Parts: sequence; structure tokens; C-alpha cells
Amino acid sequence: MPYPIPPRSAYLHIPFCHRRCYYCDFAVVPLGDQARADHGPGSRSIREYLSLLDREIASAPSGPPLSTVYIGGGTPSLLCPDQIGSLLDALAEKFGIQPGAEITLEMDPATFDSAQLASVLAHGVNRISLGGQSFDDAVLEQLGRRHRHTDLHAAIDWLVQAWRDGALRSWSLDLIQNLPGQTLAGWDAQLDQALASQAPHLSIYDLSVEPGTVFDRQRSLGLLKLPEDDLAVALMGRTSQRLAAAGLSRYEISNHARPGHASRHNRVYWSGAGWWGFGMGATSAPWGVRLARPRTRAAYAAWLESPTEESIAEAGLPLDDQLLVGLRRREGVTLQGLDADALVRRWQPFVERGWLQQRAGRWCLTDPEGMALSNQVLIEVIMWWEEALEGQSQSHQAI
Amino acid sequence: MTDAPVSRIRNFCIIAHIDHGKSTLADRLLQDTGTVANRDMQEQFLDNMDLERERGITIKLQAARMNYTAADGQGYVLNLIDTPGHVDFSYEVSRSLQACEGALLVVDASQGVEAQTLANVYLALENDLEIIPVLNKIDLPGADPDRIKEEVEAIIGLDCSNAISCSAKTGLGVPEILQAVVDRVPSPKDAVEESTKALIFDSYYDPYRGVIVYFRVMSGRISCKDKVLLMASKKTYELDEIGIMAPDQKKVDELHAGEVGYLAASIKAVADARVGDTITLVNAPADEALPGYTEAKPMVFCGLFPTEADQYPDLRDALDKLQLSDAALKYEPETSSAMGFGFRCGFLGLLHMEIVQERLEREYDLDLIVTAPSVIYKVNMIDGSEVMVDNPATLPDPQKRESIEEPYVKMEIYAPNEYNGALMGLCQERRGDYIDMKYITTDRVTLIYELPLAEVVTDFFDQMKTRTQGYASMEYSLIGYRKNQLVRLDVLINGERADALTTIVHQDKAYNVGKALVEKLKELIPRQQFKIPIQASIGSRIIASTSISAIRKDVLAKCYGGDISRKKKLLKKQAKGKKRMKAMGKVDVPQEAFMAVLKLNDGGSA
Repeated sequence: MPYPIPPRSAYLHIPFCHRRCYYCDFAVVPLGDQARADHGPGSRSIREYLSLLDREIASAPSGPPLSTVYIGGGTPSLLCPDQIGSLLDALAEKFGIQPGAEITLEMDPATFDSAQLASVLAHGVNRISLGGQSFDDAVLEQLGRRHRHTDLHAAIDWLVQAWRDGALRSWSLDLIQNLPGQTLAGWDAQLDQALASQAPHLSIYDLSVEPGTVFDRQRSLGLLKLPEDDLAVALMGRTSQRLAAAGLSRYEISNHARPGHASRHNRVYWSGAGWWGFGMGATSAPWGVRLARPRTRAAYAAWLESPTEESIAEAGLPLDDQLLVGLRRREGVTLQGLDADALVRRWQPFVERGWLQQRAGRWCLTDPEGMALSNQVLIEVIMWWEEALEGQSQSHQAI
Repeated sequence: MTDAPVSRIRNFCIIAHIDHGKSTLADRLLQDTGTVANRDMQEQFLDNMDLERERGITIKLQAARMNYTAADGQGYVLNLIDTPGHVDFSYEVSRSLQACEGALLVVDASQGVEAQTLANVYLALENDLEIIPVLNKIDLPGADPDRIKEEVEAIIGLDCSNAISCSAKTGLGVPEILQAVVDRVPSPKDAVEESTKALIFDSYYDPYRGVIVYFRVMSGRISCKDKVLLMASKKTYELDEIGIMAPDQKKVDELHAGEVGYLAASIKAVADARVGDTITLVNAPADEALPGYTEAKPMVFCGLFPTEADQYPDLRDALDKLQLSDAALKYEPETSSAMGFGFRCGFLGLLHMEIVQERLEREYDLDLIVTAPSVIYKVNMIDGSEVMVDNPATLPDPQKRESIEEPYVKMEIYAPNEYNGALMGLCQERRGDYIDMKYITTDRVTLIYELPLAEVVTDFFDQMKTRTQGYASMEYSLIGYRKNQLVRLDVLINGERADALTTIVHQDKAYNVGKALVEKLKELIPRQQFKIPIQASIGSRIIASTSISAIRKDVLAKCYGGDISRKKKLLKKQAKGKKRMKAMGKVDVPQEAFMAVLKLNDGGSA
């Protein structure tokens, strides 16, 4: 089934990092603390990869001009501003970039200075997502991060300056919560600094321990103890309440923004519309056909030579996926036009407990209780969908 | 077709402990005699149920006929009759031993004799079988054949001077074994001219031909044109075919005394042709049946419930079908207020129960909840009547009963003496009465206890293995019923009695069991959307309680473009887990929780 809306968003994956952080399970290529993009250690790897990326962009089918671009990683700020510029040029040449498009670059503290920031902005980047993670050096050390709080403060100062000057349209700060040893008071202090930074957008992620990470190993050795449920819920609730009071609305489970500063690019993922994806490990879904690229450089290069059908993760964005991602949003989902009585019945206990509510004809999770339990609601969606599919195939057999 | 003179037939079986290499040796014998071509050789040919192959144990026995040219240049017929290697199936073992004149006693040359082997060797000796000791796995570095020989001599009193050392894996010693079977196993008694009696030692259900019966002709002849009478079931059948197992079934016209074969006669269920029954001819019946026939008696009971109520008819159909091939399986409908409709099933033992459960899930694709195993209690009522109770939830009220009796077993545990303390501790905890301790060699003992069967069908075997690093082995037999101070321990989940979790325990242990049980349930039942009280009670008195606090956080931190597929997989897994749970009232309970009572000792408490 062709997806009706043509893709107007593109994601570019830059896998390079200085090191792999202890929680990270992304497709990244650590190059060491001394790596640089212009010359010396790692620079050749980066150049070679960028030429692969250029090739992939050039060989993509055509599409309408882009309204959002997101350069993520990895640590894209390891690249020279000119390299970022070339990537944007490649996209502009292929699809065109709409006037006013949102162009986000992920940047990590201690990988750039104010001059480099000015340079990427000059190349057309107008939104920065800053990988701060924490203001506490002990926590940064615990996470395996390379930067320290002074680096973060410096980066924030440059961003605020550029924002005031009008060179930067919006910016976001990432923080990780629910860390081992975290207390409510300690987290409050982190939120104080986050709010003091004036960031108009905050992404606050719960630490999740992914298989194969350093944290996973630590946990299996009993060395990593995450906060108990009650504290975890309190932390999440506190975040939501304090940010709301400061005027940042929780427009998605982990994302908070002042009016007009929600990430347009990320909304595309949660809306079910299509997007382009380029680079190793990147997932694309231009017309609803989701395709995950190989997660290593060699496999990615080979795949570019002869793209295989195997890489297709799933065809079409089925309804259940749309509900799964849609329910992450503040505005939730609509069931209008769907034969979803059975789903509503399944959801009834959640409504009774005040975790799920109907607002203006849409279904949404309450904040913070419902959002903290979203999986409980989502597995009902999965069970309902599987049952519906089963019923469908049975009725087909009957015919 | 078969013109084997009785004097050149040898019928034998292999006695071995699990893992000591019985199946590998059997395969090797088939290969060396050219019965199975090398290229057709699947690992462990004789064990042909998937389940058996996976577990490496023999559950259903099989037989194979081999042609072998001995050192004297004569052709011999060797019938290998395989025996199941588990205590649950000791009756089947005894019947297959009766069909043999000799046995290979296979002992692992590094591990020595185990209780299970011992029990079967004694059975073989009782049946007057010639026993050939074989030390297997001598190619392994830990092998110590001389020590093991001494042990076999000391324990069993068997002359090991001419024991054969072999490696079934490499084939070393296998020709010697074949020759020894010819030389040392007596030929069957020449009773060809007597009236026909054939012993059924195995049967299985074939959906196309009905039950296939494996038998040994003890006297007389059976021809494919005969009409036969099964003396215990008193049923008569026209034979469709008879044949030999070579090892695939091969039709023959006639089989005579001493021979082993199969028959098909459109028999509808294995219960009509039970192991141990005697086949004779309708027009020339034998005067009396062969000795030793007994009906299978279930010793262990449990409830089987489908997780989804609409699978109940499927479960019934599956049990009906399984019973065609499993005469020992008993079942009747059971209704539980907490679980809905299901069946109360009886099994020979725990392994049998596990096998049936696995076959139902695997072959019939059913999602089942199995309740903890229980035994059958004899309840003496105040009005003088006697009630047999195989379901703890149906134990009559205390006011109506005078006393409860429970089945006891005589347990023999065989282990190195350094574990005496650990094993005696275990038996004591399980309400055992010490009977005797025998030193078999200087460092090996047999401990003899009398224990309530109920204490054995829980995790006794696992505990015994754990506490002895796997060195102990056990064997038990039922010795009758004894009165004890037993009470019914109920469990309440969210205020509702969960009858599937009801157990019968000794009064003195009730408090500890109740406490441990609610704690275990707290561990096994996942947090749900609300707080769930868990209580244990005797009658209306709550003796232990705890609660599972409500789940408050279950959320995926991030979910962007590339994550969606992976995150969905996680959710699907969670949904699948939930689907496999049984909804009891508003609480979803996973299968493991129903076995909680078996797991009380995991943490070392209680």
C-alpha cells in the first residue's frame, strides 16, 4: 500500500564518537579521544564514510523539498562545519530544502567552540540538540561521558548567545534521569540548572539498560542498581511538574518544549508520516516502507553496492505502529473510523484508573501517571491488533 | 520368512543409568550388525520420540532384530529389547525384562553404579537373566574400569572378571559384546510345540493402523492368519499383519517361540492391549496367562487448564488422542472456581506428567496452566465412609472428616558417604522416617527411609541432586497409606480463593509453608495495575499474608524513527507473556506461580 504523504523529512546518521558511553547501544564508531575530522586520527574514516553517505543521498529516488533535516549520531559535531555544509548541500541538490525548514544538528559539549558553532549555523543549521546528559561530573564519569560540567556550561553559553543573536532559531538540551544512586533532591538540582539554561526544549530520558552495553554488564554483575519503582515514578513526576510550571509542555513522553519549540522532525516519527534515512544503521520509511540499514560500516558499504531486500524490517506502517508511537504524544491518537470497540474495552480499566483519557475525541495518556505506564496500555494495543489479524485470517480461510 | 531355530535366538536388553550411554551402544550394535546402514544412522536410532532425543533418555521402549554371524560361522538372530530408564516406568521395565534371557549391564567407567541401575539389575536378576557387565566410555580420561569393576562386584555381587570394556562412541569392544551375547545369553526355551502365549512388552498408537503391539512369543506360534485373544482385556482380534523389527517393520507369515515381533489388528487404543497382557489364540487358547500383569496406577495428579477458556474442547480432544497411545494417562473433567474448566489428570510419576504436558503443548499447540502435583489421599469420614481425594481443593471440611491418610514410599538413596548428613537432613525435612543405612563399599552407602509420597513428588529429586552435587541417585516404591495430621492450606489472591493453589500439608509445617508460599507468589506474580493481597489460610484463619504493590512505571524511555521496530519487539514479548498468563479474577497469574509450592526451597528458607 503506497503511503499517501510523500516524505518531507530526512535523517542523516553520523556514527563517529570519541568513545562509546556506558549506556549506548547505537550504531556508533568510536575513534578515540584524539580523533578530529580535518586531519590526523580518524579523519580518513570520516571522509570515507561521508563519501558513502553522499552516494546514498545521490542515488535515492526523488521527492519533494524537505521541511526538516536531522543530523544525528554518534557525535555529528565531530565533523568540520564544512562537512556538515556539504551534506546539507547534497540534500538540497537532491530534494531541495524548503524555506524555513528545521535543520537540527546534534552537538556534544567539548567537541566544538563558539566559532565552530557560528560556522555550522552559517551553513544553514538552525536548531541544535545538545547532548549534555548531566551537570554533575561524578554522573558524567559514571555514564562514561568525555565532557565535564564546565564544558557543558560553556556550550550552553554559546548556544544562548547565538539564540539571542537570532543566529539560532531553537535548541534543546538532553538529560538522563533515573540514574543509580539518584535522589529526588539531587535530581531537583539538575532540573534547576536545566531550567536556568533557558533551553526552550528539554529531552529527558530515563536511563534504560540495553543489552551489550557496559551498564548491562555492570548490572549482571550486580554493580548497577537503578532507583526503586517508587523513586523512579517520583523522579519522572517531578520532572513533568517542574518543567510544566516553567512553561515547558510535555508534548511527548520524554520531550518538553516551550510553545513553538517542539521538534518538528521528531513529530514526524510519532505522527506516522514518512521520512528519508541515510547512513549506516539509519532507518528510513519514505512511503511507509520501513528499512533499517546495516549497523556496521563494512556492511553498510556492501549494502550500498547491492541493496538487498533483507534489510526491509517491515512493510508499511501498520495501524498498531501508528497507535504505539502516536500514544507517546500529548495529543494522543484518534480511533475515528476504526473498528476499535474491542480496543476500547481493553482500555477501560486504564480509563477507570485515570491513566488514559478521552479529550476532544482523542485518546491520550495522562501526565504523569499514564505516561509512566504507557507500556501497559501499549501491550493491550498489540494484543488487540494480533487478535484482529487472527480474526481476519480466519475469516479469509472461511471464504 | 523367519526360520530362526530357537537355539540360535538371543533376546537381550540393556540396563543402564541415564547418560551412561545405552542409546549410543544400541545404535552401535545396529550398525555393526549391518541392521542399519551407516548412512541411515540418525543419532540414537532407538529413541524415536523427539522429546526423548532432546532429553537423551528413553521413555518409550523399542526393539530391534539383528542378524549376526558369530565366531562359529553360524547365523544368529539377536533381539535387542530396549527398556525405559526412569522410575516412573518400572512396570514397563519389568515386562521387557521378562521378554529377555540376558541383559547388558552398561556402567559408565568413570561414574560407577547408580540407584536406578541397581533397581533394574535386581529386577533382571529376579527374572533370572544372564547379566553381562559392560564398562562404557573407557576412552574418556576419567575412566577407571578396575575400580568400577570392583564396585560392581561389591554392590551387585556380579562376577566382573569377564566384564567387557567398550566405548560405544568409538566402537571399541562392540564386536566382543556381540560375541558375548551369543556365547553367554541362553537361548530361549524351545516351547514351539506348546500352546501359544506371547507377552506384550510395548505398544504404540499408529493413526493409520491402530495400535501396534510389540510382543515376545514365549511358547507356541502366531501366524498372520490367526485370530487372537488378549487374556487380560478379554478382547479378540483378527490379525492384519505380524512382522519383525529389522529395525523397520517387516511383515512375516509366522513367528514362533523365542521370537520377538509386532502385530497390527486394528486395535483402537493402547488400553486394549496393555503392556504385560498375554496374547493367545482364539481357537487354541492357553490355560493361563503369563504372570505379572498389573494395570498402571497413577500416583501423581495435577490439574490441567487451558490459559484461554475457548481451548477447552481442544484440550479434551488432545487428551482423548494422547490416551490412545498412553494407557497410563488418566483424566476427568475438573471445574475450578478460579481457573474455569479443565481436567484432573493422573500420571505414573513426575516425569510422565512432564512428558504429557510437553506433548500437549508441542504436538497440540495448547497453552496450558499446570497445577502443582499432588498425590491421592484417603479420607476417613466421620460417618465411616472413605473418600479418595486426588485434588487438594476438594478435601472435605474438617468437621466431616475423622482422619486423613497419605501414601508412603520406601525410598532408597544411593550416594557417596560424604553426603550422608545432607541427605538425612533432606529426608528429615520431608517428614521421612529413618529405616536403615547400609555401607555398600567403604565409601558408598544406601540410605533407606520411609517418606510420604507427597514430599517426594515435589522437588525432592532436584534437592537430592543439588545437595549431593548430582552424585546421589534414588529409587522408591509405594508401601501403603499412613494416617497423619494433615490440613488443607488455601491461598487467596486479591481476596479470592485460588483453588488451583490449594495444597495439603502437615499441620506442623503449615505455618512455614504458608509464609514461604505467599512470599514465593509475591516473587512470581508480576506487579499489576493495582495492589494485590496474597494470603494463606487454614479454614477461615489467615496464617500468612503479603501483598504485591501496584506497578507504577513501565515505559520506554525513547522511541524515534529507528527504534520503532525494536521497541515494538519488546512490547510484543511483553504482550506474549501476558497472553500466557491465566486470568484469575482480575489478576493475571503466570504458569510458574502454580508451581510455587515446589519452589519454596529455592532460597533455602522454610
